[in-house]
Amino acid sequence: MSVDISLRVNGAEHRLAVEPTETLVNVLRNRLGMTGTHKDCTMGICGACTILLNGQPVSSCLLLACQADGEAIRTIEGLERDGALSLLQEAFLRYGAVQCGFCTPGFLMIAVALLEKNPKPDRNEIIDALKGNLCRCTGYTKIVDAIEFVANN
Amino acid sequence: MTACLYTRLDTVDDAVQCLASAGEDGHVIAGGVALGILMNERLVKPVHLLDISRIDALKRIEVTAEGVLSIGALATHQEVLTSAAVAATCPLLIEMSSEIACERIRNRGTIGGSICLGDPQGDPPVALLALDAVVRAAGPQGLRDIPIRTFFQDVYTTALQSDEILQEIRIPRIPDGGGMAYHKFSARRAMDYATTVSAAVQLACDPDDGRIINAGLGLGGVGVTPVWSKAIADGLLNATPCPEIFAWMRKMVHEELSPIGDHLYSADYKSHVAAVILRRATERAYNRAVAGSDRR
Ligand SMILES: Cc1cc2nc3c(=O)[nH]c(=O)nc-3n(C[C@H](O)[C@H](O)[C@H](O)COP(=O)(O)OP(=O)(O)OC[C@H]3O[C@@H](n4cnc5c(N)ncnc54)[C@H](O)[C@@H]3O)c2cc1C
Ligand code: FES
Ligand code: FES
Repeated sequence: MSVDISLRVNGAEHRLAVEPTETLVNVLRNRLGMTGTHKDCTMGICGACTILLNGQPVSSCLLLACQADGEAIRTIEGLERDGALSLLQEAFLRYGAVQCGFCTPGFLMIAVALLEKNPKPDRNEIIDALKGNLCRCTGYTKIVDAIEFVANN
Repeated sequence: MTACLYTRLDTVDDAVQCLASAGEDGHVIAGGVALGILMNERLVKPVHLLDISRIDALKRIEVTAEGVLSIGALATHQEVLTSAAVAATCPLLIEMSSEIACERIRNRGTIGGSICLGDPQGDPPVALLALDAVVRAAGPQGLRDIPIRTFFQDVYTTALQSDEILQEIRIPRIPDGGGMAYHKFSARRAMDYATTVSAAVQLACDPDDGRIINAGLGLGGVGVTPVWSKAIADGLLNATPCPEIFAWMRKMVHEELSPIGDHLYSADYKSHVAAVILRRATERAYNRAVAGSDRR
């Protein structure tokens, strides 16, 4: 049985029919062609698939698309404005917070959620907010530096 | 792929009815973070998903006129963590919730889902065992109250019947002058779920001589279910924390518990850790009780 749902992704409405067991990350990537949200562990552990559901970070690999029906979803694709990267994205580049880039969309979405809730987090608050996201390349320090830069500017 | 049915429910009554008519095929989904893993790993292939995640009545957290802290089954870990009602009445649950995974998991995972799963590693069951909570289930025959201390029966098996929905968790009023503490041991700071050991302690002591007059405790990661030990709790009665009582507790932990060794820690090591964190949680709870601090 497929279910008719409507997904509001970065402000645009998408009406589609999904299978009840389809996860949001698969629908975003395979149906809507929005491959910015990455998928790795599919067990809620790595954070690569993090999106914002009604402003709150959640793992889209553990969220059924039909459970997100009608809710506001934000993904990495929604961060740039008129083709220009956001300050946070620029900071990630400037501080070398991106290497292979696999974890980056998840870290950016977690950082967006953090800064919206707490625009001036201190370093420890940043580290704490990132604790559920894994990066195998950067050693985390540069990611924290990039977010700290945005918090201070 | 076999086709799966999906029904979204808006009320507890509808959910109970739908579950009754779906019979064996019905599978309740709340936040979906536990079930999501099982489905992704193809360990569970639901035939009919009953989505209760939007039943607003099950999201309430409130203190009743009798002083009972009532937490709706669908309250997320993040909602418990940030609830003023919980902070005012039962800080143990705040301390416990802050130990659960990370925010993106806490935003979806519910306290009810955690209890229904009955994972021996879960944090909420351990705290609720120490608090002597009561679990209220809704089924075709109406409501049923189940003491949490009889709820966890076997590996991922609870007292909840297949035609019942977990509605709320009720925590009896905590008398003044008590103290409570939660302690979780894990190798990493976050996302270390499968190999953790945890302990929750709730104490009350005599204001005159400091003797422990009431004790509840829960242990996690030390057996096939979350564990409540009446023997250890009773042994604390009339005592004050001292090396002798902790030596006795350590002996009891080794005798009473049967942790399961895993790829990181042997069963013996887990017993050792359990004894250490149980002592730390007991000391902290006791100090809070004696200090009468607002952390209770
Ligand atoms: C990466 C990761 C890390 C985690 N870390 C921790 C941790 O540190 N500590 C911890 O305690 N937990 C942890 N968990 C487990 C998770 O938090 C809990 O199992 C979670 O709260 C489940 O809630 P849910 O609403 O998502 O349940 P679901 O996945 O929706 O449901 C779980 C089970 O319970 C049943 N169920 C759910 N609600 C009800 C209800 N009201 N009535 C009847 N049946 C119901 C479902 O049918 C299903 O079988 C972690 C999970 C993940 C994915
Ligand atoms: S892919 Fe979702 S958390 Fe790893
Ligand atoms: S940049 Fe490669 S995993 Fe983070």
